Amino acid sequence: MIKITRLFKNFGSLEVLKDIDLHVMPGEVVVIIGPSGSGKSTLLRCINRLEVATSGTIIVDGFDINDEKTNINFIRTEAGMVFQQFNLFPHMTALRNVTLGPIKVRKIPRAKAEKLGMDLLKKVGLGDKIHVHPDQLSGGQKQRVAIARSLALNPKVMLFDEPTSALDPELVGEVLEVMKVLAKDGMTMVVVSHEMGFAREVADRVIFMDDGVIVEENTPEKIFAHPQNERTMNFLKMVL
Amino acid sequence: MGFQFKYSVIWESIPTLLVGVKLTIWITFFGLLIGFFLGTLAGLGKTVRSQLLNKISAVYVETIRGTPLMVQVMFIYFGLPMAAGTRIPPLVAGVTAIALNSGAYIAEIVRGAIQSIDRGQTEAGRSIGLTRFQTVLYVIWPQAFKRMIPPLGNQFIISLKDTSLLVVIGVGELTRTGQEIIAVNFRAFEVWTTVALMYLVLTLTLSKLLAVTEKRLEIQT
Repeated sequence: MIKITRLFKNFGSLEVLKDIDLHVMPGEVVVIIGPSGSGKSTLLRCINRLEVATSGTIIVDGFDINDEKTNINFIRTEAGMVFQQFNLFPHMTALRNVTLGPIKVRKIPRAKAEKLGMDLLKKVGLGDKIHVHPDQLSGGQKQRVAIARSLALNPKVMLFDEPTSALDPELVGEVLEVMKVLAKDGMTMVVVSHEMGFAREVADRVIFMDDGVIVEENTPEKIFAHPQNERTMNFLKMVL
Repeated sequence: MGFQFKYSVIWESIPTLLVGVKLTIWITFFGLLIGFFLGTLAGLGKTVRSQLLNKISAVYVETIRGTPLMVQVMFIYFGLPMAAGTRIPPLVAGVTAIALNSGAYIAEIVRGAIQSIDRGQTEAGRSIGLTRFQTVLYVIWPQAFKRMIPPLGNQFIISLKDTSLLVVIGVGELTRTGQEIIAVNFRAFEVWTTVALMYLVLTLTLSKLLAVTEKRLEIQT
């Protein structure tokens, strides 16, 4: 589903990603953990080209996303992105946030898009907030609308960039719950997160990144119980 | 012989002055309409990736901002026709000057408002597959426009008052009408007082209109 080969990314003279290789299989849930500044978010953002890789190839669903011939707007609909700060459109209702993509990008008729939007908002537990603007929603509700907004384009992959880091602790659970349902439904997911409980429970594979490289990757059972690398050990000791 | 304020002068000059008011409103309206269009183009031109459009917009804004409106008016009315070989009606020259001038300031208002919208909004728009243009149209512009209203109101009021400079090319707007009345009756104090009050009524009305618009946009979201 996602095949990243020899990916490098520099911001000026700062090397953020150094020779990253990563394959994600269809239906797989990959959780990326690591200290801040390790390049996790940048890696995720490279996958739908919010950041342009300095070198290397990224293939998403068979399309080379750094190829000029690839329609990047199309790829972005194939890889939905959920942001730490939600980034909902504040001037639109929850429903309009969700239907904008289907109507403007997929060219689905409004009535059909609204039906889809309502179904998705119900799915994330917000059937009663359809006509509410984001400023009247809690953080957890906002993030669930944001997930519905991405799902509305029927993506093949969902990318989550620290989706619960901006939430009050009591609101984290409701967002993780929605993500668990998605994972159970077979969605391919790449999640940058500090939620070790979620990683342990839902991930098929956990990747530990530090200083722009993938230090270690393994099943959650193995990586949490028997980390091989010293850097992984030190990191896990601090967060667990 | 003390000065005597003659109220009758005011009443007598009002009908003539109102003709000038009409023209002032007309010039302001069309000048700002075109100016808003120019300003939006130049403002967007400063935010797009094209270096060429950035440059063109910057040259326009800097040239207009860096020269006095009075000089621009005279350049357009007296200068350009010499080079082009045809005369421009004063009214056309006046509207053009107000449009070009306000456009440059509006460009900065537009640019500032657009750049004040969080980058995350653009990223969210792009990440659901919207093109750059669609992202600006549906996501950025509606939010930016709300932030533009207070500074736009300021600019509208400035431009309205700036139309008074068009006396130098003989456009019969409010200030010019006042001058003409004084040339006949020599009652400078009464007439300029009336003219000033009329400008004040116009600008206060404009302020009110903008406040209502702002309120309405507030309720909509």
